[in-house]
Amino acid sequence: MSSLQAEVAVVAAGDSSEVDVSQEPHRRLVFDALTAVIPADQRPEALDEQQELYADLGMDSLRFVRLLVELESKLGVNLLDEELMTIELVTVADLVDLVGRISLPAAE
Amino acid sequence: MVDTARDPQLPTHWFNILHDRPHYVTSAMSRSRLPDELKSARRSVQLQQPLSLARQSVNTADRFVPIPGEVLDLYAQYRPTPLRRAVRLEERLGANARIYYKYEGANLTGSHKLNTALAQAYYYARAGVKHLVTGTAAGQWGTALAYACQVMGLGCTVFMVRATLRQKPVRGEMMRLFGAVVHESPGELTEVGRRALQEDPAAAGTQAVANGEALALAAEDSGSRFAVGSGENSVLLHQTVIGQEAVAQLAVLGEFPGCVIACMGAGSNFGGIALPVLGAAEDSGRPVRLVAVESAACPKLTRGRYRYDLSDALGTTPVTKVYSLGSGYAPPPVYAGGLRHHSAGPLASAMHADGTLEAMAVDQLTAFRAGLLFCQAEGILPAPESAHAVAGMLDVVSRHPRQQPPLVVLVHISGHGLLDLGAYTAFAAGQIEPVTADETSLARSLTALEEFNHAIAAPPRAP
Repeated sequence: MSSLQAEVAVVAAGDSSEVDVSQEPHRRLVFDALTAVIPADQRPEALDEQQELYADLGMDSLRFVRLLVELESKLGVNLLDEELMTIELVTVADLVDLVGRISLPAAE
Repeated sequence: MVDTARDPQLPTHWFNILHDRPHYVTSAMSRSRLPDELKSARRSVQLQQPLSLARQSVNTADRFVPIPGEVLDLYAQYRPTPLRRAVRLEERLGANARIYYKYEGANLTGSHKLNTALAQAYYYARAGVKHLVTGTAAGQWGTALAYACQVMGLGCTVFMVRATLRQKPVRGEMMRLFGAVVHESPGELTEVGRRALQEDPAAAGTQAVANGEALALAAEDSGSRFAVGSGENSVLLHQTVIGQEAVAQLAVLGEFPGCVIACMGAGSNFGGIALPVLGAAEDSGRPVRLVAVESAACPKLTRGRYRYDLSDALGTTPVTKVYSLGSGYAPPPVYAGGLRHHSAGPLASAMHADGTLEAMAVDQLTAFRAGLLFCQAEGILPAPESAHAVAGMLDVVSRHPRQQPPLVVLVHISGHGLLDLGAYTAFAAGQIEPVTADETSLARSLTALEEFNHAIAAPPRAP
C-alpha cells in the first residue's frame, strides 16, 4: 500500500449521506473482482446481483479473503478488521452495497 | 517491555515464501461443486479470520511481513531459541556429518506452536473477537493457544483428541491452568462429536473430528472464531522465525545446511524451519535438501494422493488441493498425535508435488529409539513428533557417503517430550509397537477420496 492509501471504515448500512447514489461503478468493480478470484470453470457464464455468494458462486472463506483483498487493491484502501468481522453477505447485491458504503478518504 | 529488551538476533519480519513462489497460493475448489450433503444450510459468507491475518495466506507481494510490536515483545520472552551442534551424538554415530539442531521446546508451552498462537491471538483480539475455539491432537497447539488467549484477554475452548488426552491428561491440565475449557473429542457437546461416537463409541478421535467440533461450537457464537494451529499459509509464515534464526545462527559459525529435516503433521513444523533456509539457499545459489518425516501410521505424503479434500469432519473449511489419505482415514493411535492429521497442508503439499521437499515415513518404534538416543547424547528429550525428525536425520546421515565432505544437517526439535515420559517409559519397557497404516481404513478412505474428486470435477450447473 502506498502512503496515499489509507485504512478505511465501512459506513453503517442506511447512512444514506455516505452512499453513492450511482451503484454502477461499484457493480462493475465487484463483477471485476469476482471474475478475478473465481476461476472461469467454476463460475456461472454470467454474473448478476441476485446470485448468492455461497450457494451460486461457491464462495468459501479462502475465496472471500481473496475477494476482499482484490477489492482493497482496486479501491486503494486497507479495510479494517473490526468492521469486517461482523459483516455477513448473502448476495452479489450485498457486496455491491458494501462497496458503496466504504467511506473513502476525502480527496485533497 | 521495550524494544531494547529484544535480542538483536530476533527476526523483526516473517519470511513469506509466497512472494518467491506465488504458485504455492492455496488452490480451493468452489463450494458450489460440493455434493449436497456437504453444503451447509447457511447462506451468508463471513470472514472467519481477521483480514489482516487471512491476507497473509494469499500475500504474494511482500517477501518479508513485519511482525507487530506487541507480538515481537512476546517473542522476546523466549526467542531467539537455541541452535546447538549435536557433538556427542555425532561421536556416538561416528557420523560423516555436522549435526545441528534448533530447539523450540524451551518456552512455557513446550513447543514451536506458541509462535503462531501469539500472532493469531493478537490479530483476533485486535479485531474484537472475544473467544477462540480450536482442535488439538497432541496438545501442544492447544496449550500454546490457551496461553496466548490468556495473554491477549481472550476466552479459549479446546477440543483435544481423545486418545492423546487420555495418554497425557496433564496437557489438558496445563490448558485449564491458562484458563481454557477443555473437551475430549469426540464428545457429546457437538453434533460432529455425537456422530463420531455413534459410528464408533470407542473412537480414538482424530484431528479432523476435533476441528469439526471446534468449528461447530465457534459457529454458535458471533464473538467466537475457530483458530487453527497448522497447515494454513499464515501459520507457516508465523513459524518462519525459527528458520530465519537458524540461518543467522549457522552463519555466525560459518555454516549453511546441506539438508534440513523436520517432522510433518500438516506443515508448520517443517515449513517454519525449511522455508527460510530455502529462501536463503536460492538467494545464495547453494543447494539444500528438505526432508519431511511423517508417521508411518499416517503416511499422507508417501502414500497419499494429491487431490482436493476436506480438512475437518464438519466440512465447512475450504476444500483444498493437498496430499491426503482421505478425510475418512482413521489413523491408528500413536504417541505422535501431532502427526495424525489425514492430510498435509496445501503449501507443504505443493512443495512435495513439485519436488521441493522429499518425504519419508517412520514408525513410532524407530522414532522412540531415535528420541532416546538423542536424549542420552544431548540431554534433551524430544517430543514424539520431533523424535520422528531425529529418526529421519539418523537415516539421512547413515546414508551419506564417507568419501564425500561431511554433510551439514539441520534438524528441528520442535518440542520437548517431558509430558510424554509415559510413552518413553513404555518404550523402555518394550511395550511400543511399530504401528503402520491401517490398510483397511486406508483403502476405503482413498477410494472415497477418488470418488469425491470425481464428483466435484463435473462442470458447474447453469445458473
